[in-house]
Amino acid sequence: MTRSIVARPGAANAGLLRSETAVAVVVFFALALLPGVASGYVVYIVPQYLLYGMLAMSLALLWGFGGILSFGQAAFFALGAYAMGLAQHWDMAVNPAYVALLISIAVGGALAGVVGYFLFSAGVRDVYFVLVTLALSIMTEQITISQSDITGGYNGMFIPRMSLTFGDASLDLSDDVPMYYTILPLTIGIYALLRWVLASRFGKVLIGIRENEDRVLSLGFRTPLYKTAAFAISGAIAGLAGALYGTHASFVSPSLAGVLFSTQVVVWVAIGGRESLLGSLLGAVGVAALSNYLTAITPEYWQLVLGIVFVLVIMAFRGGVAGALGGLTAPRRPETESG
Amino acid sequence: MAELLRTAGLSKRFRGLIANDAIDFTLQSGEVRCVIGPNGAGKTTFISMISGHQTPSAGRIFFRGRDVTGSSVTARAQMGIARKFQTPSVFDRLSLHANLELASLGKRSTAAERQTRITEVLDITRLAPFRHLPASVLSHGQRQWLEVGMLLANRAELLLLDEPTAGMTAEETHATALLIRRLADAHHLSVIIIEHDIAFIRDLKAPVTVLHLGRVLMSDSFDAVAENEQVRSVYLGQG
Repeated sequence: MTRSIVARPGAANAGLLRSETAVAVVVFFALALLPGVASGYVVYIVPQYLLYGMLAMSLALLWGFGGILSFGQAAFFALGAYAMGLAQHWDMAVNPAYVALLISIAVGGALAGVVGYFLFSAGVRDVYFVLVTLALSIMTEQITISQSDITGGYNGMFIPRMSLTFGDASLDLSDDVPMYYTILPLTIGIYALLRWVLASRFGKVLIGIRENEDRVLSLGFRTPLYKTAAFAISGAIAGLAGALYGTHASFVSPSLAGVLFSTQVVVWVAIGGRESLLGSLLGAVGVAALSNYLTAITPEYWQLVLGIVFVLVIMAFRGGVAGALGGLTAPRRPETESG
Repeated sequence: MAELLRTAGLSKRFRGLIANDAIDFTLQSGEVRCVIGPNGAGKTTFISMISGHQTPSAGRIFFRGRDVTGSSVTARAQMGIARKFQTPSVFDRLSLHANLELASLGKRSTAAERQTRITEVLDITRLAPFRHLPASVLSHGQRQWLEVGMLLANRAELLLLDEPTAGMTAEETHATALLIRRLADAHHLSVIIIEHDIAFIRDLKAPVTVLHLGRVLMSDSFDAVAENEQVRSVYLGQG
């Protein structure tokens, strides 16, 4: 073969996913050991970054693998957090926090499912879908502001740390170490779940839709249903992440549903690499940590610095950091043996 | 041979323009048919109505005797009507294997059946050496074959090919004719091909339907069509 072959970002998802597993094991192992070597603020803040990462993965599924960009992830996240806050006031036989987690998954999934069903069935695509999701964020923010009797309006809502209960045994998550070891396995679980989803028939069809929706449709797949399902899964995970975030931060306010936060999620995923779940997770952790650090050293200019980092990364690697790394492992030549 | 596809009075109007005017057309199972005609004859409109991408203004379409006029693209694809677009429409960034696997997921089957099918399709289309490469590295002609391969992996029974040899080299065009002949003879597929390339149509040794101004001018063997005065005058622009 004399033809020159140009490697493109994410030229072979299979290759990227294979090498990703090894990196994921190392990263999660290191995270599991972290509270042993670090303490105090690090152990407090890393779970929050991981929840941002969970939110980023919910967008990566939709945007990186389904080709559907959403600026509405913050809406589901905030709804999850409010559900967690409201549930703490309920008097029920079972642990209200567990109920709140289930409700946040159901609300995020159902809202995304209903919105997605109508939009995708009507053939709404691309930038028009983005605009609707943007509106979803703005509406959620406005509703949380206006319904101040329930949500506390601008003042926000305080949420006590949840407890884990197993039958009669109970573990209070007020301390940061048990909280850390609750959120880390859940993050790993969501990562594994999404990897499984993407490897399934559904995931393969979803990637096909990203690449060429008309072709997939002409092969006999009802693509609006696949897109609806992807959006619903994404909304459910964003809702779960939000509920955990609410109880971890002990506070939720309307800005959590806002456009600014929604945009941040898109930036995390773009920098980390939208076609990689791990890249998106680490993009969120890395950028959130960097923002936090920059706020401390340069409170005036941190957003500017972050903006420059974003522009540079996207200019250098359109597929984000994970896309750039994955491009190195993609096969580029035909096999020499035939058949 | 049993009748596979029939259109009765199939018509399509775009505002004032009549693209297809009461086309009666029959295709037998296992038959290869070329549809030719000058630009604007209504060829692409015709197969777009069969695939479901366009809705007829009048007339009916029957597939295996069943009226499919109102069925969606997806429903027709499920029944086995598969369309190859004029420009190659494949999944550029996915490997050839992934392209074919995705196509094979369209119908219920086991993983082993799909694997056998994919291997078979890679052999038929002579694309096996490239199976782990992204489709973007293929030549234009190879991409066209990959798309035909995807329709096979999708277990299509009726292939609608819109100018499959457009932009191909003479060698690729000849290979494509042989490929389509193999599909019909060895795999019992039925094929409707829109073409301009006379050498290709001759290689195919298939009956030809000539469309002109949205109507069927004639349907006959290649030789009969090539010698027909009316067809010649249409192609010379006097029709």
